[in-house]
Amino acid sequence: MKRETNDWEPKIVAFLCNWCSYAGADLAGVSRIQYPTNIRIIRVPCSGRINPFFILSSLQHGADGVLVCGCHPGDCHYLTGNYNARRKFALLQSLLEYAGVEKGRVQFSWVSAAEGGRFAELVAGVTESIQALGPAEKLVKR
Amino acid sequence: MKTKIIRKQDMTGLLNNLIQEYEVFAPVKRDDLVIFDRIGSDKDVSLEYTNSIKPPKEILFPQSETLFTCGSIGDAASIEVPVSEERPRLLFGIRPCDARSFLLLDKVFNEENHRDVYYLSRRNDMMVIAIGCIKPRATCFCTSVGGGPFSSQGSDLLLVDIGDDYIIQVITDKGSRLVEKVGVADAGENKLALMKMVIQEAELSMSPQIKTDGLKEKLDSAFDDPIWGSLTEKCLSCGICTYLCPSCYCFDIIDEVTDSKGERIRIWDSCQFPLFTLQASGSNPRPTNKERHRQRVMHKFSYCVDNYGQVSCVGCGRCVIECPVNLDIRQVLTTISNR
Amino acid sequence: MSELSGQIREAVRKLLRQKEVDLVIGFEAGTLPLHSTPCFIREQQEAERLIWNSFCDNNLAKYLGKRQEKIAIIAKSCDARAIVELIKEKQISREQVVIVGVPCHGMIDRRRAEAELEGKEILEAEENDGELTLKGNGFTKVLKRSDYLCYGCEVCFHRNPVIYDILIGDGVAEKATDQYSDIAEFEAKSTEERWRYISDQVSKCIRCYACRNACPLCYCRECFVDNTHPQWTGKTTDISDTMIFHLMRAFHLAGRCVGCGACERACPMKVDIRKLNRKLVSDVKVLFDYEAGISLDRTAPLATFKPDDPEGFMLNP
Ligand code: SF4
Ligand code: SF4
Ligand code: SF4
Ligand code: FES
Repeated sequence: MKRETNDWEPKIVAFLCNWCSYAGADLAGVSRIQYPTNIRIIRVPCSGRINPFFILSSLQHGADGVLVCGCHPGDCHYLTGNYNARRKFALLQSLLEYAGVEKGRVQFSWVSAAEGGRFAELVAGVTESIQALGPAEKLVKR
Repeated sequence: MKTKIIRKQDMTGLLNNLIQEYEVFAPVKRDDLVIFDRIGSDKDVSLEYTNSIKPPKEILFPQSETLFTCGSIGDAASIEVPVSEERPRLLFGIRPCDARSFLLLDKVFNEENHRDVYYLSRRNDMMVIAIGCIKPRATCFCTSVGGGPFSSQGSDLLLVDIGDDYIIQVITDKGSRLVEKVGVADAGENKLALMKMVIQEAELSMSPQIKTDGLKEKLDSAFDDPIWGSLTEKCLSCGICTYLCPSCYCFDIIDEVTDSKGERIRIWDSCQFPLFTLQASGSNPRPTNKERHRQRVMHKFSYCVDNYGQVSCVGCGRCVIECPVNLDIRQVLTTISNR
Repeated sequence: MSELSGQIREAVRKLLRQKEVDLVIGFEAGTLPLHSTPCFIREQQEAERLIWNSFCDNNLAKYLGKRQEKIAIIAKSCDARAIVELIKEKQISREQVVIVGVPCHGMIDRRRAEAELEGKEILEAEENDGELTLKGNGFTKVLKRSDYLCYGCEVCFHRNPVIYDILIGDGVAEKATDQYSDIAEFEAKSTEERWRYISDQVSKCIRCYACRNACPLCYCRECFVDNTHPQWTGKTTDISDTMIFHLMRAFHLAGRCVGCGACERACPMKVDIRKLNRKLVSDVKVLFDYEAGISLDRTAPLATFKPDDPEGFMLNP
């Protein structure tokens, strides 16, 4: 799937945990804070629910970037979901970069329910950096 | 049989000639593996090889191939079958065992009631130029299964390396037309004598490695023999023996669907995988190594004899060499024969 | 080496005689030069078949799972490390296995030895006193054994089994190695170079799954590649499907891979599987200070956490 780069806009899949990050995005919305529309949000129960496959599948099926957000350490609704996830994320990100996937395709952050403004900033930043990377080609299927 | 001769250095010209007309596949080196691949010039070819790691079957029967794609145009469904507009294929420099394997594949894919159009689109018009084996490997047992280092079965032309020249044995009319067209000299008496010597020497260097006499009957009666359990206990159930086998042909059909597009794909499958026989109910009639490996051996040395009148192993030895746990089919057969 | 074979047979006979175990998993002579092959022994008199040499390169821990019998296993150090992980992952109980540990000088990489011969066929191989003698039609070649070890053996610094019930022979000296210099070297390449190398390697893969099936830690009842509901990975030869298979297999072994190299040796296509696995082995060590297969007490790194685990990789954490 080759895309025209001229008026190309990145597609970014954002996995947000239900209890903090999704609520944070919600807050950004109800507070009418503007942020780029490049993200497609997928709500998951907890950042601990993220299977690395979700991330790879997104990249395989046309996402140009992936953003994963969960509650700040100590705030996870399930107490330790994000702590466990953090270890997986560290390894996955490192492995992908090592294998030659551009740094920045897959990003992680903590967003609380109160951080509507920060969420919007985060999305703007991520969108900008992925825009700079250009369309994802490497893991795309055909 | 007509015999022609060509100097080794003239092969270059001949090959480049053929490349003009055919899609030529030949042994090429990739890292330190030899595989069959499409060549763009004679320089890619590496004829100094014993045999390729992967068999040439994928040239006729690729590991993964789209059978059709479907989608919708407005309200109507659309189906598209890929058509190949390729020129006819020519396989250059394959080994006689692999050339024979095509005849076995034909029995499956070009069977009277089931003609496989995908296979046949590549098989029809395909030209096979094999090269005889002056140095068979210790793991080769073609002579035990009806072939030989200079067997011409399955080839249109067979090359015999006699030092500075190749003798070209002309096997089929198709092969004959090709040599006429490119124009090569007839082989003289002394060169033919040399060829006979080369062939004889190679043949003498091979000793029978399995006893095929009465093997089928033995296998049939040993089906429930507990020896199968101990023979196969070390098997890892990987796909090496089947995927690297020139005559294993099992496949699976899968559908891949994205948004509004669907694709039906044929992929290689292996009787060594538990998934091969797993049923929707969760039950698996071949649950362990024992049933799976026995199936492979029975299929080749008994069922194919029933169905096609011959064993479906060409004795290339790939599964012998590459098995990660050295489960040696020759040993399995010998053990059963001796029961 | 032959003394070791003798001692192994002795120990095994005793175990079977005293009915301490029902099954012994070890190695016997293979049908090809430079090959030994796994064997399963249940009777005392069969102990004669057991051998030990530099060709015992399969990881026998592979065969431990899903058995009821009491088992003795002839374990070099990487087999023993795999057993440690299997015990921790509750695939086998410590009581069910008698570990007959064999200190290891490293196994021969037969492909390295073959490469020395430029296509000439090896018909016979012998080893003694640190030398490997290869014979074929019209040639004899003597190689220095230690120059032809498997890569995993070259960088191994646990050559003595970390866990055992019976130890065969004397311990061997551990060697100090710079374990991860290969990883650092690879990391120094550009992103594009790394991608090119990995995809080039992965594109050779024929999805025979020998790597997975040879790996002692790949024991999932249903591997993700076989899962059809959902279908995590495509089954075509599209490079993206194969790449995801390899990335995910490596990832599933994070903190579990004991670096035995069985995967790589099984691969008929010589895919450089180690490139990915070892990266994770080294990351797990650096980030979580954990080494697989060394201790029965430490929790697997992905089954635990520390509140202050590194998170510098995250966006303004
Ligand atoms: S069964 Fe083994 S030896 Fe026979 S044709 Fe297949 S790969 Fe070759
Ligand atoms: S991934 Fe390879 S090196 Fe690691 S434990 Fe499995 S077989 Fe051994
Ligand atoms: S053993 Fe090699 S060819 Fe087979 S699946 Fe693994 S990497 Fe691919
Ligand atoms: S609930 Fe938000 S990370 Fe666990």
